[in-house]
Amino acid sequence: MTVSTTSPPPARSNTRITGHWWLRAGRWSLLINRRAVALNLVLLLVLAAVSLASLALGSLSIPLPEVIRALRGEGSPVTALVVTELRLPRLLAGWVTGAAFALAGVVMQTLARNRLATPGIIGIDNAATAFAVASVVGTGVSLAPPAMALTGAACATALAFGLAGATGTRGYRFIISGVAIGAVSGAITQVMLSAVPLDAANAAYPWTVGSLNARSPDALRLLAVGLGIGYLLALGLRRPMAILQLPEPVSTALGTRTGQVRLAGLALSVLLTGLAVAVAGPVGLVALIAPELARLASHPGRLPLTASALLGALLMTVSDLAGRLLLSPLEIPVGIITALAGSPYLLWLLLRQSPDINR
Amino acid sequence: MTTRVRYLIPWGLLLLAALASLLFGAGSLPWQEAASALVGQGHEDARFVLLELRLPRLAVGATVGLALGVAGALLQALTRNPLAEPGLLGVSAGSAFAVSLAILFGASTATLTTLVAQAGALAGCALVLAATRLQGTGQDPVRLVLAGATVTGLLLSLTSLLMLIDQRAADEIRFWITGSVAGRQWHQWWATLPSLALATVVILTVIRPLASLALGERVAMGLGHRPGLIRLLVILVVALLVGAATALAGPLVFVGLVVPFAARALAGADIRRTLWLCLPIGPALVVFADTLSRLLVAPSELPLGVITALVGAPVLMVIVRARRMPTL
Repeated sequence: MTVSTTSPPPARSNTRITGHWWLRAGRWSLLINRRAVALNLVLLLVLAAVSLASLALGSLSIPLPEVIRALRGEGSPVTALVVTELRLPRLLAGWVTGAAFALAGVVMQTLARNRLATPGIIGIDNAATAFAVASVVGTGVSLAPPAMALTGAACATALAFGLAGATGTRGYRFIISGVAIGAVSGAITQVMLSAVPLDAANAAYPWTVGSLNARSPDALRLLAVGLGIGYLLALGLRRPMAILQLPEPVSTALGTRTGQVRLAGLALSVLLTGLAVAVAGPVGLVALIAPELARLASHPGRLPLTASALLGALLMTVSDLAGRLLLSPLEIPVGIITALAGSPYLLWLLLRQSPDINR
Repeated sequence: MTTRVRYLIPWGLLLLAALASLLFGAGSLPWQEAASALVGQGHEDARFVLLELRLPRLAVGATVGLALGVAGALLQALTRNPLAEPGLLGVSAGSAFAVSLAILFGASTATLTTLVAQAGALAGCALVLAATRLQGTGQDPVRLVLAGATVTGLLLSLTSLLMLIDQRAADEIRFWITGSVAGRQWHQWWATLPSLALATVVILTVIRPLASLALGERVAMGLGHRPGLIRLLVILVVALLVGAATALAGPLVFVGLVVPFAARALAGADIRRTLWLCLPIGPALVVFADTLSRLLVAPSELPLGVITALVGAPVLMVIVRARRMPTL
């Protein structure tokens, strides 16, 4: 065995990788994509601006300096009440649900290698809603809505898998199974709503369209924790998921445990969807659109996890703000706004292009 | 089983379903009394329930089933897609949205003309036809269904928006949109008859060219037919039928999928034989589902749309799970 030492390896400090920063500490190193950082920073700024607007605008408009004063615990009691008690929780709910839906969407799209395979389209939203409504109207077991929504999401996914047979998450059979499951879940939700008195049905109405008005603080806290864990998990899964984009034999030969990665990603996406539905109801189209936009904006071939989550939060906040302002004093539920804005895009996607994620 | 027996089974089922629908209901009328009222005797109240409540309901249910079943079979033959169904493709949703708009502008469901619903259905049909003519989508049944589901979702959101704007309309739309044939009256049924008659005439003239279109556009042209004209006529018929059904019962999903599926299973792929079998199967399905909707949670009622969804979704799965997607 000969070791060639004729040309010494280049000194490490001189190495440059285009478009990246290379951080090193001892034997650990980290590559950071500059474009991704810039994109995320821009998104954060926009999100901050929109959030401030969302705090300031509404049926009672509050000037920005007042808003900031109220946020710092000063200002008049009225503005403090409106800003910190009414609008801030709602804003936070928008952030976390949007980010959770978008993250769930991007993970599932990537695993299924199909842009249409988002939790909303394969029926997870509807099933989670059916279960949550069951707990709200008090039929069946009286678990808390988040737990029930999670159960529903898990059941729907398992069913979709079982019905799709051996084809896994790829191919249309999985998606059409999801469509059928969604239809049945919707029917069951209607059965429950028509079987209970009017008050209970009205209490469950926000669940069926998707609204940030209906959030419960407990579910919100649970979702925030879940989102934190889910985000870290997704970051950990980034590399194996990228390898899964290669043909199956290749990814296996590279030493990826494809089955385990798929299972982990799917579980993650189900968890996030279930928790988010428990807060805001089915607003599933965010899960389709946010990753799409993120993919458009970021470097091709990268998995834009952070950008998707930020865009999800942004979309949700903007939609909620629009819903509050458009027909004021009436309030349009955020689910209706996202459906109106998102459906034409989904149609375009369906009719114009091959829905395969591999471009 | 000889062919004749096979063709007679659906008619027998229809008869059974109709009898069950007349004899059983959510009310406290025992079926023996209903039966004696049916043969012309019995109590005054029983006769009233039977003739004024259950009979119109039976007629409306049968008409809706007939219209949706035939419309589904025609749409499937036209798009050559076994999943094409008025409910799944957004035709019913277009019709329902038009009706909701009309309610918002002051019409009530009682005075509602069938025409509004048919105009909406026509718009939905045009969308579907445009989508099937696009490159790539025509050959892909499932993608068409997904697009239809998207259109349906969009229109449903718009309808919810309308309901938000006007509370009175909301109350009226809410019960109608789940799909039900409860409380319909004779004059509503009469109002749909002219369009059904017109649809029948058009179907009879277009059925042979349509059957030849199943062999491909070129073959049909070689046989001296004009595919564009056939398409236009069939789309018009589908709009007439779906609009009439939606005006009567609200948007019902899956009926137009299940009925032709069953008919094809009995009769094979030929559109003419399929249509003949849709005549008994469609009414039988809807009437049976309606009877179930009265009995399952008696004394209250389930919306009919719930039952058809619970029946139809598994059938959708069966079709998709078939090893090879059946092509028409």
